[in-house]
Amino acid sequence: MPAFLELPRLAGSAPALALLLMASVSPPVAVSAQEPEFYERPFAANQWTYGRRVDESQLRYCVDGRDPDWEVAGAIADAIALGLLLEPRQYLVESNIIFDDITKVYAVMLEHCDIHLGFKLIPQGYPDWVTVTRPYYDAEYVFVAANPDIQALEDLRPSRPIGATMGTSAHLRLVSYLSALSAEDRWLTYPMGTSDLALRSLLEGKVDVALVWAPNLWAKQREDPDYAALRVIEPAPLPPIVLGVGAILLSNETFLRAAVDEAIAALRADGTIADILDEYEFPARAAP
Amino acid sequence: MNNYLAQKSLLAATSLAAGLLATGLVAQENPIDNITPVTDEMLLNPPDGDWLMWRRTYDGWGYSPLDQINKSNVGDLKLAWAWAMTPGRTQQTPLVHDGVMFVQNADHVIQALNAATGDLIWEYEYELPDDVRARGERNKAIYEDKLIVATRDAHLIALDTKTGQLIWDKQVANHNFGYSFSAGPIVADGVVVQGMTGCGRGQPGGCFFTGHDVNTGAEIWRVNTIARGDTPEGNSWNGIPLESRHGASAWLAASYDPEQKLVFAGVGQPYPWISEMNGLLPKSSDPNVTNDALYTNSTLAIDVNSGELKWYFQHLPSDSLDLDYAFERLLIDLPVNGQERKTVVTVGKIGIIEAIDRVTGEWLWGVETVPQNVVLSIDPETGQKEINPEVVPRIGETTFNCPADPGGKSWQATAYSPRTGGLYLPLVEFCSNTTPNPLDPGEVYTGGGRATFARVPVPDSDGNVGRVDAVNLSDQSTMWSYRQRAPVTSSTLPTAGGVVFVGTLDRKFIAFDDETGEILWSSGKLSSSLESFPVSYMVDGKQYVAITANFASGLGRLRQITPEVKLPANDPITVYVFALPG
Repeated sequence: MPAFLELPRLAGSAPALALLLMASVSPPVAVSAQEPEFYERPFAANQWTYGRRVDESQLRYCVDGRDPDWEVAGAIADAIALGLLLEPRQYLVESNIIFDDITKVYAVMLEHCDIHLGFKLIPQGYPDWVTVTRPYYDAEYVFVAANPDIQALEDLRPSRPIGATMGTSAHLRLVSYLSALSAEDRWLTYPMGTSDLALRSLLEGKVDVALVWAPNLWAKQREDPDYAALRVIEPAPLPPIVLGVGAILLSNETFLRAAVDEAIAALRADGTIADILDEYEFPARAAP
Repeated sequence: MNNYLAQKSLLAATSLAAGLLATGLVAQENPIDNITPVTDEMLLNPPDGDWLMWRRTYDGWGYSPLDQINKSNVGDLKLAWAWAMTPGRTQQTPLVHDGVMFVQNADHVIQALNAATGDLIWEYEYELPDDVRARGERNKAIYEDKLIVATRDAHLIALDTKTGQLIWDKQVANHNFGYSFSAGPIVADGVVVQGMTGCGRGQPGGCFFTGHDVNTGAEIWRVNTIARGDTPEGNSWNGIPLESRHGASAWLAASYDPEQKLVFAGVGQPYPWISEMNGLLPKSSDPNVTNDALYTNSTLAIDVNSGELKWYFQHLPSDSLDLDYAFERLLIDLPVNGQERKTVVTVGKIGIIEAIDRVTGEWLWGVETVPQNVVLSIDPETGQKEINPEVVPRIGETTFNCPADPGGKSWQATAYSPRTGGLYLPLVEFCSNTTPNPLDPGEVYTGGGRATFARVPVPDSDGNVGRVDAVNLSDQSTMWSYRQRAPVTSSTLPTAGGVVFVGTLDRKFIAFDDETGEILWSSGKLSSSLESFPVSYMVDGKQYVAITANFASGLGRLRQITPEVKLPANDPITVYVFALPG
């Protein structure tokens, strides 16, 4: 194989090798904001017909019935509204579609709500048309096993499979860890499209450990007794993988964002959110 | 389904129409009254004035044999009529038969228009589920008395071309799992051939092509685009099980070789794009598996009647940059090393033109166009590519790749002119700083999969991003190369009149001299960017050229590096039709 490009190159084309050299000595500077591909300019039908809403005595919030925590989030949103002396007005997003592109939330928010609960605080994870509140709770990605001999991830033998919810922050950290190991010391990682599929694969013995968002395990165990025996194991040798969860607003809602942040801080401080989590036995923390 | 039909015949009484005919007032006749069934013979040899399928002919050339509009008069081109479509993004190809134009709006209102006047003849509304985002389809098909349309909720439907009434409706897959059609079918040898997209996290196992009975929509065969089983192909997924394999969408319609009865189609990349996320990295130490991820980024040759996969050629294994080879396949007989070869020609997002023997699947040659740093070399015997390891995205790192993910050449189709022997390529020049991102901002609302792509100009760029190349396919030499600031965003349309039409992000429709690249005509600024497939047709002895203006994402994302190009916020969509005066 030749060392460099041998393609019959057309006149006027910049050589690939030259590109490589230029890139190595002079990294290009982005001329635009960091904008993930999937954050293309949102479009909503009749989007230009939505103006400033009239009724400002309400806090219109959205929760998504497909989220495992939607009832908990609704209770927290009600508390936020009361803290702001506003009347809470819930819009429950109902759909059977398993995944939606995040840009679709734009249309939902234009039509139905000022804040949409249920979004993880991921650095640089959001486009500039969205702003994220401070977290109202913190939850973990958890390793789950069915075999009682596996008390911690380190109990799993090399080459045994882990079903990891694909592309999540936890999956990325697991892969980064494994990439630093020699091939013979690695566990196999099977990307699973959903937490449900990862847990089902665990139940069916297709994987030895599942890596899922703890609220998903909580919801699954509440609705299906088959999953009751599954156990959260220690993540060692990995550290716990914790993410805050907050609400998103359209980025022009700066005043409301500040008010909601203050309310969340107060509700965490006075134990209101912790009480809600306790009421639902929800696997999250809301320490001040 | 909402089955309402708005039959809006402009001239309802056939006796009156007959009378008008008798007095020679043919121009006032409603063309729907005389529309004829589209036969197999017509699809094999389309009338010059019709545009009956996505790229007009089975060979995928996208070439119009009409020459009334030519180099000497194209400068006189004027707007003949325009038709505003409903909001939402689309990248549609109008079809034209017997003076009737068929269009599909983003909200799935399908309309028949008088192709000479732009008057509405009938319309049919396919009701999408509330939670399916309304978007258009890139193409439709027509066969006998049926207009066959794909939908965003993964149905195929057939409408009566004369009335717009629904003939059949076939659900191909459950849209709740993410399945969706972004392009429509072709009909070959009486079989409706359709490719599936949206095979992401909602359902493992990948996408597929299906063949359907043209009279009922019933599925006849299915070809999975992700290899499975204990075969070399099935073992090309790094040892992960089928439950963990995602992607391989079939984004565009196929081409068809009636001599071999084979359809040729492209397949997209694994999903999510980043190899460390989709399980293709770190590479397995098992000597019996590879991480090529077949049949992603491949050309598939499929028997149209049985669905048997005759051969495949993978252009780019283990793609992690969304630089797929999913687009049009052109069937062209070309001289290769002194021998006439039956080839299938395609161009991936990297912008490398590649020719394969369409009988054997043997790779023949490849030629680079836009600046790229992904492929270091190509084995001249096998076509195997050496990938630059520096551009493969890694978690926690930012890498630099050219072109960026929308591609140096994207879904905007190339076209071939037998007049010049040239392939006309809509191209863009740009790069990306690429950083993998997690997918999980929300449990339902996800990040789509991939990475932050900070798109930037090519190093030392002169500022030009848009480009049209004409390449002589006989010797792979450049006939001409045109460059400009605004990205080129439509497919190309060469004609027998010696002109090549193309649209741009800055709302202009341009005609080039097909031999020199000289600009012969440019429209005024239209309503939005031109991201679609232009067509040409003839009605009552008059040639028309049509294109849909709309911002349809895709290369519209290049607005990042041409921020001075401003487009309307409400995404107006309009079909524009041009003709010579008189």
